[in-house]
Amino acid sequence: MTLSTDDLIRSLAADVPPVGASAALRRIGLGSALGALLTLIVLLLSIGLRADLGAATHGFAFWMKALYTGSLAAIAFGFTLTLSRPDAVRATRVVWLIALPVAALAVLSLLELSHTPHDQWLDLWRGRSAHVCPWLVLGLSVPIFVGLLWSFRRLAPTRLRAAGTAAGFAAGALSATVYGLHCPESTATFVLTWYTLGIALAALLGRLLGPRLLRW
Amino acid sequence: MRASEDELKALMIKGLDGDALAHQALLGALAPLLRAFFGRRLRQTPAEVEDLMQEALIAIHTRRMSYDRGRPFTSWAYSIARYKLFDHLRRRRVDLSIEGLEELIGAPGFEAESAAAIDVESLLELLPPKQRRAIRATKLEGLSVAETARAAGMSESDVKVSVHRGLRALAQRLKDELT
Repeated sequence: MTLSTDDLIRSLAADVPPVGASAALRRIGLGSALGALLTLIVLLLSIGLRADLGAATHGFAFWMKALYTGSLAAIAFGFTLTLSRPDAVRATRVVWLIALPVAALAVLSLLELSHTPHDQWLDLWRGRSAHVCPWLVLGLSVPIFVGLLWSFRRLAPTRLRAAGTAAGFAAGALSATVYGLHCPESTATFVLTWYTLGIALAALLGRLLGPRLLRW
Repeated sequence: MRASEDELKALMIKGLDGDALAHQALLGALAPLLRAFFGRRLRQTPAEVEDLMQEALIAIHTRRMSYDRGRPFTSWAYSIARYKLFDHLRRRRVDLSIEGLEELIGAPGFEAESAAAIDVESLLELLPPKQRRAIRATKLEGLSVAETARAAGMSESDVKVSVHRGLRALAQRLKDELT
């Protein structure tokens, strides 16, 4: 037995709290912050913080990593916000934006390699944790992605595959930033390869799951 | 008397600021517009159209924070309606085929539905200019293939091929995005 439309409208109009101009952004922020908190807890309980965290924050490498993943996260969240609206228009400019931090890190990596003897290049590139880093970034991105799924419940993405990709990308970039609290690696070459791979995997997962999970 | 974009947008913004009466008036004004939007595009009973219209109304209410005040209101609302329409078709396993899409794009409407046309425009933006112009002329402006061909300096078969390719590309794009 369905409600008459008049009754429906009356019941909807009983629930009209104010919605601020930046409500969508705050909603996305809240969902991803809650997810990131869970990610941090999981990190602390499992692999833990790096032992030299205090000292590391005085070094260049720590901030290089944070700035790289942080700028990717900022771009990704902008992308996510755009795609959370039902009338989102194609935004190819995003691809160009991503190129900026990647190019900057690539330059650092080239400088690094040029100052390192050839026989140490492989070590520079692989570090000690290449085999786990992308998977940890991917795994730690899951709570943040779930947080964004929650955010989307009050939003209206209509391009589901693109929105899923954006959310995955954002979750991966934020997760990689949190992961920096644990990760002992310090070369641009390592970060450019393995962090980026982890973030790309998160974006890919988002792309695959988007149409299923973002439906409303 | 159909409400205009300006009137609806004003009600929407008042509603966003917490004015429950304005929000109620907005939903009341949207109901007949949505009913017409769905009714014209689906071969369903009035009861089924009403159900889908109510779904769209609920979505417009629940997800109102997805509206950007700096942008037009009615294209936002019709984007939600169109999403609900395609999702409805997907659930009923209707193939988003070219014929179905033709009907959806070219359904005749009142000028109040020009806001729905704005939304179709954003769909058409995804196409190369040649296909876009061909579809706009034949489906939205109601020109014949011959008239379109003459106006664009193309052959008639060129127009037909452009329309066909454009619709196929759109149908594929929508399928990719929703399934």
